[in-house]
Amino acid sequence: MTTTLAGGRAARRQTMRRIRPRRSPAVPLLLAVWAGAAGVLWLWWMNTPSVAGTGGRILNAGRITGLLAGYLIALVVLQMARVPALERRVGSDRVARWHAMSGRYTICLVLAHVFLTMWGYALQAGKSLGDVVQQTVDSVEQLPDMGKAAVGTGLLVVIGLVSIGPVRRRMPYDTWYHVHLFTYAAVFLTFWHQISTGNDFAVEPAARTFWYGLYGAVTALVLWYRVITPIRLNLRHRMRVEAVIEETPGIVSVLIGGRRLHRMGAEAGQFFRWRFLAPGMRFSSHPYSLSAAPRPDLLRITVKAIGDHSAGLRELTPGTRVWAEGPYGALTASRRSRGKVLLVAGGVGITPMRALFETLPGAAGDITLLYRANSTQDLALWDELARIADERGARLMYAVNSPDGERPDISAESLQRKIPDIDHHDVFMCGPAGFAQSVYDALRGAGVPARRIHHESFEM
Amino acid sequence: MRKSHPIRRAVLAGAATVSGIVLLLSLKPSSGPAAASAAGAAAQQTAAGQESPQGGAQAAGGGTVTGTVAETQYGPVQVRLTVKDGKVVKADAVQAPKGGLSDQKTATAVPKLDQEAVAAQSARIDAVSGATYTSTGYKQSLQSALDRMKAGAAGSSGSASSGAKGTAGSGGSAGSRGSAGGKGSGVSSGSSAGSSSSGSASGAATARTVTGRTVQTQYGPVQVRITVKGGKIVEADAVQAPKGGLSSQKTAMAVPRLNKEAVAAGSAHIDAVSGATYTSGGYRQSLQSALDQAGG
Repeated sequence: MTTTLAGGRAARRQTMRRIRPRRSPAVPLLLAVWAGAAGVLWLWWMNTPSVAGTGGRILNAGRITGLLAGYLIALVVLQMARVPALERRVGSDRVARWHAMSGRYTICLVLAHVFLTMWGYALQAGKSLGDVVQQTVDSVEQLPDMGKAAVGTGLLVVIGLVSIGPVRRRMPYDTWYHVHLFTYAAVFLTFWHQISTGNDFAVEPAARTFWYGLYGAVTALVLWYRVITPIRLNLRHRMRVEAVIEETPGIVSVLIGGRRLHRMGAEAGQFFRWRFLAPGMRFSSHPYSLSAAPRPDLLRITVKAIGDHSAGLRELTPGTRVWAEGPYGALTASRRSRGKVLLVAGGVGITPMRALFETLPGAAGDITLLYRANSTQDLALWDELARIADERGARLMYAVNSPDGERPDISAESLQRKIPDIDHHDVFMCGPAGFAQSVYDALRGAGVPARRIHHESFEM
Repeated sequence: MRKSHPIRRAVLAGAATVSGIVLLLSLKPSSGPAAASAAGAAAQQTAAGQESPQGGAQAAGGGTVTGTVAETQYGPVQVRLTVKDGKVVKADAVQAPKGGLSDQKTATAVPKLDQEAVAAQSARIDAVSGATYTSTGYKQSLQSALDRMKAGAAGSSGSASSGAKGTAGSGGSAGSRGSAGGKGSGVSSGSSAGSSSSGSASGAATARTVTGRTVQTQYGPVQVRITVKGGKIVEADAVQAPKGGLSSQKTAMAVPRLNKEAVAAGSAHIDAVSGATYTSGGYRQSLQSALDQAGG
């Protein structure tokens, strides 16, 4: 059993690849989303000849918010369908932020829709704002599919509440995640009242067809990419823990064996969501980056023991079955433009940088790695990095606190001093949020354009 | 990497949404025809022009009466009654759900419902199990046909026009959604007795039928269709009204009254029928939009 994975054939082959920058599809996707929203508003516009009176205005505001919420909630689910175009091209981190943002917005729209519609009905019946509650009860009891919709809305509100920052931070990740899965039930339950009581869908068969198409497509994508694809992946590759290696105090590498792992299409810089079928770990899956280019028989992740889950990795016994979903993430070689590359790693953020350091195409002197850690003892994987640097003619630098605890100087000036042509580099970054922010500011100060700084952040 | 300002973003998104919705609502006319609705009205007029008046005024002695279209989840249901000596001698569905499983259900349910209707002489008939929606729609349309039959008997009171209308009415009922005719013509013949027969005969040529927009109420959609002649409403009817359970009863009670009120008032300023405030509210709105279209 080798403890380092440097110098594999697969990795060497990748270094010979041509550099092919690929544009992120984010802009066309966002345009499509806006076009869809405009289409939904157009639907309302065409089916509403006039809006009369306060009651009419409020009811129609309820209809607009309802239509938009119905449209957006389908997209909120789609964002979490793990569609490769989103996960690998746009980037899992960016899509997750979109999801959080549009999710919050959608819940606000849903609540506005409920309130405005019920208020509008009350006004039309000659009642006042004070009767909204009674009106809601009546509507839920009497209108078709409204009972289901009420349950679904209740679920959405609960899911929204547990996703508020302070609540979520106090909750175990697994609990939060499993509550979140109820979104599917909520969306299913709220779908039917849109069709049966929605004016626009009652009047316009084409609109109804479009709505069924939208929700049907999202359902199909979720089933395909969240259920069927992982099952196929794991049946094909049958992964198991090969060994657990302590790299530095607190940082462990897990070697995972399996069949034809190079066929999974994973690239350096990407991650999988891992589920280890060991007692106490079965029910949670966590994203960890590959810390070496995948080999046909072996993958490696390197993890800092910070949470319950990552600490448990240390106790894994060889032979434990592994369930993986992926590969995900867009922090790959395809992000870079032609030219030199600077990799910046903070702490355990070295893992994707380590894989990229080995595989990014480039001639001698093109690739530089700057590794920040608390002390030289904490420089995990250092021996490997040194060997790769030797073989590739790449530059390897580290920055650690001085013995009296003083932080190293990473500023625009110091970066320019060390790397005089830094403004001609693409920069890949991985590390804690505060570190990444300060490095980002320093890089911008040193003249690196924002579009050439590539960073993945799972801070919401 | 951008610094995010969650609060600022939330405020911006909220403000943009609110102003967008307010803008959309203010761009919609509160009354008066928009270009789109005028075009829609024109299309409905041509469609209405092709429909021959059908319905109940002739039913005093004998003939056929067609009920309103009841929209069900699986498609429209419309009942036609053949009346002789004030009694229903035959009932059949001119429209019933079609396609797939619906075909089978229609084939089994409709003959049973037809028989039940003739036997009961009222809309209090049992639903056919396995075809509850169709049964409910059938009962509604049947009720409206029965209402028309009675209104026709009261309104025409032995006038000579009943025979002429009878032949016109029995002609073009198949497939059309029409609920024109019916009580409305009964009322109009009452208001101007001298012109009643010529009015009914030439009605299809000169009268305009305008359908208001569908108004969602708590209990279901309401949509009013009016026939306008010489700038006056000569007939009003609900193409759609709340149905199912208690709603069907309320609709059966309220809609005929609202129809009469609309014709009498010539505007949407009509009293709500107590016990059916939602339907009345929706009716008034749909009526107003129909009047807007007719005026433009």
